[in-house]
Amino acid sequence: MGKIRVLMAKPGYDSHFRGAVVVATTLRNAGMEVIYLGGQQPSEVANTALQEDVDVIGISTLSSTYMEYLTELTSLLKNKGIAEKLLVVGGVVIPDDVPKLKEMGVDGYFPPGSDLVSIVDYVRNGVK
Amino acid sequence: MEANKSNIVKRKERKEVFTTSSGIPIKRIYTPEDVADLDYNRDLGLSGEDPYTRGIYPTMYRGKLWTIRQFGGLNAAEATNDRYKLMYQMGVTGFAIAIDDASLLGFDPDSPEAEDEVGVGGVSVFSLKDMEDMFDGLPIDKISTAVIQAINTTCPHTAMYLALAENRGIDLRDVDGTTEGDPCSFGGCMDLKVNPAPVRQLMRLCGDLVEWCAINAPKWHPVSFTSYNYREAGVNAYQEIGGLVASAVDLIEEVLSRDRGLTVDDFVPHYTFHLASHNDFFEEIAKMRAARRMWCKIMTERYNAKDPRSKMLRFHIQTAGSSLTYQQPLNNAIRVAYQILAASLSGAQSMHACSYDEALCIPTEESALLSIRTQQIAQHEINVTNVVDPLGGSYFVESLTNEVEKKAWEYMEEIDKHGGFVEAVESGWFRAEVEKAEMKREDEVRSGEREVVGVNCFKMTEEPYKVSFFRRDPQLVEKQRAKLQKLKEERDDREVEKALEELRQVTESGENVMPAVMKALKVYTTIGEISKVWKSIFGPIVPSGLAMTM
Repeated sequence: MGKIRVLMAKPGYDSHFRGAVVVATTLRNAGMEVIYLGGQQPSEVANTALQEDVDVIGISTLSSTYMEYLTELTSLLKNKGIAEKLLVVGGVVIPDDVPKLKEMGVDGYFPPGSDLVSIVDYVRNGVK
Repeated sequence: MEANKSNIVKRKERKEVFTTSSGIPIKRIYTPEDVADLDYNRDLGLSGEDPYTRGIYPTMYRGKLWTIRQFGGLNAAEATNDRYKLMYQMGVTGFAIAIDDASLLGFDPDSPEAEDEVGVGGVSVFSLKDMEDMFDGLPIDKISTAVIQAINTTCPHTAMYLALAENRGIDLRDVDGTTEGDPCSFGGCMDLKVNPAPVRQLMRLCGDLVEWCAINAPKWHPVSFTSYNYREAGVNAYQEIGGLVASAVDLIEEVLSRDRGLTVDDFVPHYTFHLASHNDFFEEIAKMRAARRMWCKIMTERYNAKDPRSKMLRFHIQTAGSSLTYQQPLNNAIRVAYQILAASLSGAQSMHACSYDEALCIPTEESALLSIRTQQIAQHEINVTNVVDPLGGSYFVESLTNEVEKKAWEYMEEIDKHGGFVEAVESGWFRAEVEKAEMKREDEVRSGEREVVGVNCFKMTEEPYKVSFFRRDPQLVEKQRAKLQKLKEERDDREVEKALEELRQVTESGENVMPAVMKALKVYTTIGEISKVWKSIFGPIVPSGLAMTM
């Protein structure tokens, strides 16, 4: 099996990139191939995920747009037939919304302060 | 008895080495030996005196308490107006507008790019009408306002506020406030993709505002250099102030290079600075004192400034949002209070106390109130405002101030080696520095070397505190689109066209854009229309491939 391929993006124009960069760097250091898109619209994320045939899509959110953004993204992933890819969200999500994200098709959620090793383990186990 | 190293008895301690948050080694105890080289008059002096280490004004908080300037903005201007009125009743003494991502990037609510960005991170402000609604019934002649993070929209967002003041009959010369549009502060630490114009063009526009205010609006601070953002993104205390001074110097050079008759003493007295107050208590105090001394030195030695105000580092502090935790959120209130205390022992001119829920959402009314009360308790109950620079003369604090300053100068030299701050930002070098520093911090948290209560120690499986959450108005985009539509029906389009044409001409010719921007705003030209003109001249958005240097 080749390297795990990860796509890392943030919703839209929010400029709080710290978490995304830290997690992307950590996954890369753990031997994964990471495509860092920065702030992108859901369509761009879904297209890239398909073209690059990634195993994992990571979305880092620090603004309040995650509901709208992930609703759109998960529906695009379904339309493209790539809903089975591991979709992981990190960052600020109001705790009450976490179950809603899971229903939508988000596989894993990591709040701020999560242990980076646990993220690496989660991705490794989730992909195999 | 002489206090020297030989008197210090070896004892087992909790750790092998104690350091500050930025890695400066800390001894068990400090003695006169540690400040043997300190020359009181040269290095400290009285408050209000060169080199201003102890404070920029003679009386400091005995004369005037720091401004309680809480950063706020949510949903539409009307909702923000309600919040501001409430905050005013609670006792804030300054406003700071948090503008939404759409407006800050120069997108009107009807632009496709703004779809998911209206009301995100602040209030939607796309024309003078929003500014009018936001400050309706608020005494802007008595209270100062800061226009925050207007990096790409520094001129139009400032012009909106100034036009509002003029329309209310306030002389421009009396309008008090600040624009925080530090041209480097996005590119320095954030996705370059969000910078709609290259840093040099932002320098030009910011320089225009500096020049124009020096002559037309002397009480307005046209720029606030925001090392807070670099710090939040990852750099340490001495890197923060090294970057701060380096970036301010670059804007001095920008304005001087125009050769339009201004000297440093014409515009530098209007500069302000925005620093972080993070959670290494003494290092932060040392940092703020060191920053004042550095600024005085550079203005004296490099620029030969004559006006004492050119040498005074006036600063606002914001408590460190990045120190707040998602876990056990009420703990954040305590972090904030310590950070406010550090700043009040350091002589900050103005403060924003973060709210305990900010690691989760935009502050609720309840948490915003506590932030204001945190500052009021510091101002009115604990008597720290009775004396200037209470830690001056402490062997430890003076020694640490020297050390932080030394390291900050060294860091500035490194920035200079990379071509100065603007160049270091454009090349991505500084951004890489930020990322490196942040990874180091993360490693320290992971290894437990850096303790974060509730995150890597004293963890709980169940959240112990119940807090309520703020939610954005989901109908906001539609509401703002309708408002834009109405605005366009009611205004005189010919006036707008004329104003935009004039703006195009002055932007291309290199003249100061501010007179044209003021004219355009007054006839209700929108932020999107103005930005379109600039984007057509300054070029496209920097590609997102630059967004990460790893």
